[in-house]
Amino acid sequence: MSLLQREREAILNNEYVDSFDFAEVEDFIKNASKDLFISHKFKTASNILVQPRGGFPTYEKVFALYEEFKKADIDVLPLTIDSNTRLNDYATSKKMLQLSEENDIDMLNGYPLVTHGYRTTRKMITHFNTPVSLRHGTPDARLLIEIALASGIFEIEGGPITYLLPYSKNFPLDKAFLYWKYVEKVSAKYSKLNEPINRESFGPLTATLVPPAITIVIQLLEMMLSLEEGVKSFSVSFAQTGSVSQDIVTSAVIKKLARKYADMIGANDAAMHLVYHQWMGAFPSNKEFSDSLINTSTVLAALVGADKIIIKTRDEAFGIPTKESNAQSVANTKYTLNMLRGLPNIVDAEEEENLTNEVNEIMEAVLNDPADTLWRQVFNSIKNGIIDVPFSPHIINNNELVSIRDDNYNIRILKRGKVPISDKSFAYEKSKIKIPKDSTVASEIIRGIGIMQ
Amino acid sequence: MKKVVIGVVGNDIHVVANRLIEISLQERGFEVFNLGVNTFLEEFIDAVVETDADVMLVSSLNGEAEGWSRELPRLKAQYDLQGVTFMIGGNLAVGEVDADDMERKFKNYGFDLVFHQVDLNDGLDALEEYLS
Repeated sequence: MSLLQREREAILNNEYVDSFDFAEVEDFIKNASKDLFISHKFKTASNILVQPRGGFPTYEKVFALYEEFKKADIDVLPLTIDSNTRLNDYATSKKMLQLSEENDIDMLNGYPLVTHGYRTTRKMITHFNTPVSLRHGTPDARLLIEIALASGIFEIEGGPITYLLPYSKNFPLDKAFLYWKYVEKVSAKYSKLNEPINRESFGPLTATLVPPAITIVIQLLEMMLSLEEGVKSFSVSFAQTGSVSQDIVTSAVIKKLARKYADMIGANDAAMHLVYHQWMGAFPSNKEFSDSLINTSTVLAALVGADKIIIKTRDEAFGIPTKESNAQSVANTKYTLNMLRGLPNIVDAEEEENLTNEVNEIMEAVLNDPADTLWRQVFNSIKNGIIDVPFSPHIINNNELVSIRDDNYNIRILKRGKVPISDKSFAYEKSKIKIPKDSTVASEIIRGIGIMQ
Repeated sequence: MKKVVIGVVGNDIHVVANRLIEISLQERGFEVFNLGVNTFLEEFIDAVVETDADVMLVSSLNGEAEGWSRELPRLKAQYDLQGVTFMIGGNLAVGEVDADDMERKFKNYGFDLVFHQVDLNDGLDALEEYLS
């Protein structure tokens, strides 16, 4: 028996899991409808795929949510997982699910997939026969993704960096790399049976003044960590930066470099996709303004040539939206996208060159680390500050890089810390920044964070 | 250069405010030891002893401050912390409370400077004035 299979059996031999039938699951994936695979949908779709967020504790409420989404002609269904499951606390999920079912109130902030199990969940997924994307935030997602894949959920979001640095203070990063290696291996193994399983990285990170160079470097590294295990379909992503120009430039550079670095490690046959997140920062409390922001984000997704857009609702500032409000947002987005045909190709060569240089400079430093494996090189690079994510709560993050917005809302690097962008690239960043005499860096940061409120 | 230990007390993950305090203190010429979010009061005291800090600045945004601050007199009694300035700021309670009442309450716990819903720069101005 292979080491992977031995680990899988150990993971699935869990008191919160009904007996896991490996052969039956393989058979299910082998014969599953192509319509369940987003990797297949990417190949055949002519429009940007629209995906909201959403998940409720009970089967019935998720079923009702999916029915509402289908009426809005949704492309990709979401399944957002509750926070206890994300922290591997299945006992609490089980108790809270029971309370939710008995009292008809939501005691969980998402769907406890492990607790429901794959036999139950698969009935719902195959009924709707639409691709489902797993949204979680789990550092150790080994059990969760086994249950997801066995349920017919063939897109897995996350990664060892993007699901850790924005969410955790103490979870050991080296462990996260090894746990995610398992996710890549299982996804790669199943990808041989039918259409490929799609893996998606979480580009928004802390969604707080993250410079595009940092976002792109992390996207490329999670992509490489995934492809080197044999994954054949991967989505890089980023969130609306707040600057129209920076969105367009970021998209151009990430597309170009994703292909370059994938080919560099010999993954020429892997399909690459771009996902755009509507504004992930603080939303206005005025719902009409929220509608305007969401609509502008949709235009931007089209302008940057995204393959999929992940949307928000007008209720973002207030909490979890109702199914009706969420579905309305899907319909609105599809309505706007339908208008946007034959868009002009906007290029800012100077900005593109500078961003490309910055990414290559940081990537070179990461790949020059003397460690013997890519994950260790990335681990060391985060530990020594070569990769530095603004506003990460994690103790390993260096927190020396400082970024603020310029007059056009572009995110610029004011202090580079130990991030090894060249003096030339850094001089370009600084040349764009003007801090008013009566202001401070801290107040510029506050202003930069709150631009949409 | 004055040394300040900062952090967010309890199970509170308000990282943006924490980082802004760090940057603002650095701009004002302090040496900052940032313990980050989700920090227990014992960890603050340990860091003050270890770094020989002049100021311990606790921040709190989710209403947990009072529960943790009750521990301060006991911890202060265990160590020689003469000359250390104790400061707390943020949202010190959830819901509507009287700011003067809050100040009195937290001063009783052993804080020298208390700022409930006060602008960051005003709070740091007051700290500099207190230290001089």
